[in-house]
Amino acid sequence: MKSASILSSAFLRSAGQALPTALLTLRFDKASALADLVLPTRKTENWKYSARHLKLTDDMASALPISSADAANNPVGSLIDSPVNTAAYNAGYTVVLINGVVQPQASSYPVLEGLSIQCFSDLNEDDAVLAAELLSKSISDQPAKSGSVNLSQLNGARFEDGLLIQLKPGTVIDQPLFVIHHTTASHSGSAYPCILVAAGSNSQFTLVEDYVSSGDCSVMVNTATEFSIADGANVTSVRLNTEGQSVQHMGTTGVRQQRSSRFESHSVGFGGTLRRHDLHVRLEGEGAECKLNGVVVTRGSQHYDNHTTIEHVAANCNSEETYRNIAADKSHAVFNGRIHIHQDAQKSNANMSNKNLLLTSGAEIDTKPELEIYADDVLCAHGATIGQLDKQSIFYLVSRGLSPHDAKVLLTMAFINELVDQIPIEQVRTIANIGLNQFFDQAFQEV
Amino acid sequence: MLNIKNLHASVEDKQILNGINLEIKAGEVHAIMGPNGSGKSTLSQVLAGNEAFEVTEGEVTLNGDNLLDLATEERAREGVFLAFQYPVEIPGVSNLQFLRTAVNAMRKHHGKDDMNAAEFMKLAKEVSKQVDLDPAFLKRGVNEGFSGGEKKRNEIMQALLLQPKLAILDETDSGLDIDALKVVADGVNALRAPDRSIIMITHYQRLLDHIVPDYVHVLSEGKIVKSGGPELALELEARGYGWLGINDAAANH
Repeated sequence: MKSASILSSAFLRSAGQALPTALLTLRFDKASALADLVLPTRKTENWKYSARHLKLTDDMASALPISSADAANNPVGSLIDSPVNTAAYNAGYTVVLINGVVQPQASSYPVLEGLSIQCFSDLNEDDAVLAAELLSKSISDQPAKSGSVNLSQLNGARFEDGLLIQLKPGTVIDQPLFVIHHTTASHSGSAYPCILVAAGSNSQFTLVEDYVSSGDCSVMVNTATEFSIADGANVTSVRLNTEGQSVQHMGTTGVRQQRSSRFESHSVGFGGTLRRHDLHVRLEGEGAECKLNGVVVTRGSQHYDNHTTIEHVAANCNSEETYRNIAADKSHAVFNGRIHIHQDAQKSNANMSNKNLLLTSGAEIDTKPELEIYADDVLCAHGATIGQLDKQSIFYLVSRGLSPHDAKVLLTMAFINELVDQIPIEQVRTIANIGLNQFFDQAFQEV
Repeated sequence: MLNIKNLHASVEDKQILNGINLEIKAGEVHAIMGPNGSGKSTLSQVLAGNEAFEVTEGEVTLNGDNLLDLATEERAREGVFLAFQYPVEIPGVSNLQFLRTAVNAMRKHHGKDDMNAAEFMKLAKEVSKQVDLDPAFLKRGVNEGFSGGEKKRNEIMQALLLQPKLAILDETDSGLDIDALKVVADGVNALRAPDRSIIMITHYQRLLDHIVPDYVHVLSEGKIVKSGGPELALELEARGYGWLGINDAAANH
């Protein structure tokens, strides 16, 4: 019998030491805890469909270097060949990270009352302690369920830098903050971007994270984004993944919500060698609500795996989740949606919908709703479907003079239109639509 | 305009049409009647180019061109329009977007520029009034949640927008109450033009009270067994199909 593969110790050696003591200590502790981590296989429950796409070679262990040329270049190395670039994002509200390290000279963000945006290396001792506390309570760091492996824990052992975003109580920021995560895949290596958001009570904030890359070497991007949302705060997270084919992306977003807070997540993901995103929301205070929307498209031999968990910890909370996957060619999309309603979470209201569209007979989609309900007075609905384009609908459109290609694009777009339209930021909708149209042109090329 | 010679067609290896011969001149309205299963809908699907149906013999020409050689969308662009018996619901695509895409596909084929959104909106609003559809329907998903009558009116609206040479109306009268029937009939009458031919497929005489055809044909077992003028429809209404030697069991339901 083949013995289990262990994460190479090379992946636990962090390089940069330019961090406050509290964060260095935390990173060291996390790295120690991950020694001898067993890598997932197809028998690992939460990596069942993705383990075969995971290829971590030792040359990917070292942190990707940041050359001065990289830092000077406007990072537009995205999969999407788009005239819309970072310049289209609001120039005054943009932070650029290259390979997980904040680039102050490429970033510009406002100095506003109640808003603090700092990179880890600049944190004073108090803020560093706060950042370390947020990270130590990180949901991605919770003891994994037996039989599961959480590779995003690597972020805590390896981050070189990151952003701490704090909003004082009552602070309302009406412009979204754009964070561009640019990975330079011109060498093998890895990057560990980390974003922490602490939203004070009754504050309002929108964070847009755009993951892009340049180059085509094998790299791992291992991300952590943590939201701590206090009473009555309203936070929106938009996540766009347009990284190149060679990127193995493993990301976690953790959200803790207090009383009467609201969290919205909108994600649009384009496939690659390996894309994995875990989104974990804990509704910890009464009356909190969350809405999670996700769109994924894959083609060629691409892979995309979304795992979501919504924990209803407190009573009277609402959650609404809508994910759509479209898979073309021989690609593979996965959705695993878990809703966990704790014993005290009476009057919980949870709604989960996952619909999937297979564009070819060679594509594969796996969907799994998981419900764990320990309270007795809850409303919990879930639905999952997998289908193909309807021939009669295609005939109807083509009989009106549309080309078969245009008819298929229109029908496929119709499948996700509703979710794209709900993204609250126009620039993101524009980029998403350009990417989706390119995807459709490629996906329907030979049909 | 349209010339059908000895047309045979099958679906899933089941032979449905067994030698249809029909000539329709420009400006004429032909009604095709017949019991369920006689091949009426198959004829309309074959003419529109539904790939689920296979033509096994015969030929069809439209203004001298071989229609069967053309792909579905090419037939549409050359002026063939089928009003569906069961129009398809397409949530997520707005009626307006769909109609404009269709009209512009047609315009492009004829070397005309795209109609811009404002121009098209104006035109679509006018046409929707003509079939008594609230312009609010333009913003809804294609046929999404429309009643049977609203779907049929949406089909006629499309015909009015696309201005086809040959309009085939497949049971456009089914499922309509008397008021909706009147609206649909007015729409069809508005389509009548010296350079346009219309084929109306129907079970019932009642549509023909509002749209008087030039010719009536009776289809049975995939062949035209009787042709005549408008009086033939009245005779069918009074006597059923039995006197033509047709087993009329299905039609009585």
